[in-house]
Amino acid sequence: MPTVSMTVNGKSVSADVESRTLLVQFLREHLALTGTHVGCDTSQCGACVVHVNGVSAKSCTMLAIQADGADVATIEGLDDNGTLHPMQEAFRDNHGLQCGFCTPGMVMSALDLVKNNPSPSEQDVREWLEGNICRCTGYHNIVKAIQAGAAAMRG
Amino acid sequence: MEYGRPTELDEALALLAGGRRTILAGGTDLYPAIAAAALPGDILDIGAIAGLRGIVEGAEAWRIGAGTTWTDLARATLPAAFNALKQAALEIGSVQIQNTATIVGNLCNASPAADGVPALLILDAQLELQSAEKTRHLPLKDFILGVRKTARRSNELVTAIVLPKRAVSGRSDFQKLGARRYLVISIAMVAARIAVEDDRISEAALAIGSCSAVAQRLSSLESDLVGRRIGPALAEHICAAAVATHVAPIADIRGSAEYRTHAAAELLRRAVANAAGTA
Repeated sequence: MPTVSMTVNGKSVSADVESRTLLVQFLREHLALTGTHVGCDTSQCGACVVHVNGVSAKSCTMLAIQADGADVATIEGLDDNGTLHPMQEAFRDNHGLQCGFCTPGMVMSALDLVKNNPSPSEQDVREWLEGNICRCTGYHNIVKAIQAGAAAMRG
Repeated sequence: MEYGRPTELDEALALLAGGRRTILAGGTDLYPAIAAAALPGDILDIGAIAGLRGIVEGAEAWRIGAGTTWTDLARATLPAAFNALKQAALEIGSVQIQNTATIVGNLCNASPAADGVPALLILDAQLELQSAEKTRHLPLKDFILGVRKTARRSNELVTAIVLPKRAVSGRSDFQKLGARRYLVISIAMVAARIAVEDDRISEAALAIGSCSAVAQRLSSLESDLVGRRIGPALAEHICAAAVATHVAPIADIRGSAEYRTHAAAELLRRAVANAAGTA
């Protein structure tokens, strides 16, 4: 079995895994980082979005070994010693979640958007979220939350 | 099952010379295709090979390396002849897929609905294939042979897309029709590249995808448009009958053959108008 090493939320991790192990399985099953969700397993829903070397990727369609040597960020790495990240806070303030299943992926996608576009319009947010599906169809507040989070991050 | 992830091209070619392997670049199609089963035999992951990623302008041609992602392309500064390819880049999957998936992977997958193919056909794209013994070039139209079938030999790696500069002229446009706006398999898609001189079309390149097993250039319609004055009247020459001389679409859950033909003609009218600047 190949050895996979990467940095996850700033910590170096290494494990022997089967080649077919998906990045999301590695995160959830080997590292017990279960904040990254698996919704569809086919790259459609976006519940599994994490950042790989600073850009958003779907961890259900990426092998752990493809991320060998990469810098990976998950939802668990966002808070600052228990203080929510401004984007997480904005989701809470704007009730940007109903069941919460899609939320980790939504937040991680939102942060990639804000990095590329610090002041996204409503249309920008809706277009960017094409790869994130909310099964509660709660998009209205998610879009509001992302715009509020972006504003908070601009300071 | 062996998983190879070399860092040098020579190592990759040596692995391919040693036996059949599934080549993985972004991997966005491989995993959904195997659906939780074991990986399909030995894998060659080309994601760690230095120098395969990037878009470079040479003296005679543009070169898109095999590791180049759709996001890399969408963010690159490129001539207007690339507009169709850039538009396709933004319509492929979602942002996360565009960040991971490669342009060359889209071609090697050889799906009839591959968004990248029409936009590259109108740029006279060639593929550079390397094996341990030699390098050869094939026009894209001769590379994709059928549904999920290409002319790549098992010891070869597609290392780049080469776009001759003579075809990088004018302006292009891409139009895609799906059952919804995003994250959808195309019912029909078209790409058009038009060069204009003295208000007349001096060069036209048109291609249609998702309407035949392999995307097609529309050579007779292209010849018909050359020399015509640009303006709204151009649309009269682009009709379903002209499309039907080139493609015979299938009927499936996404649309009937007749619907696809009519839709493709309308997409072409829009793409030509945009590319000619008369929209």
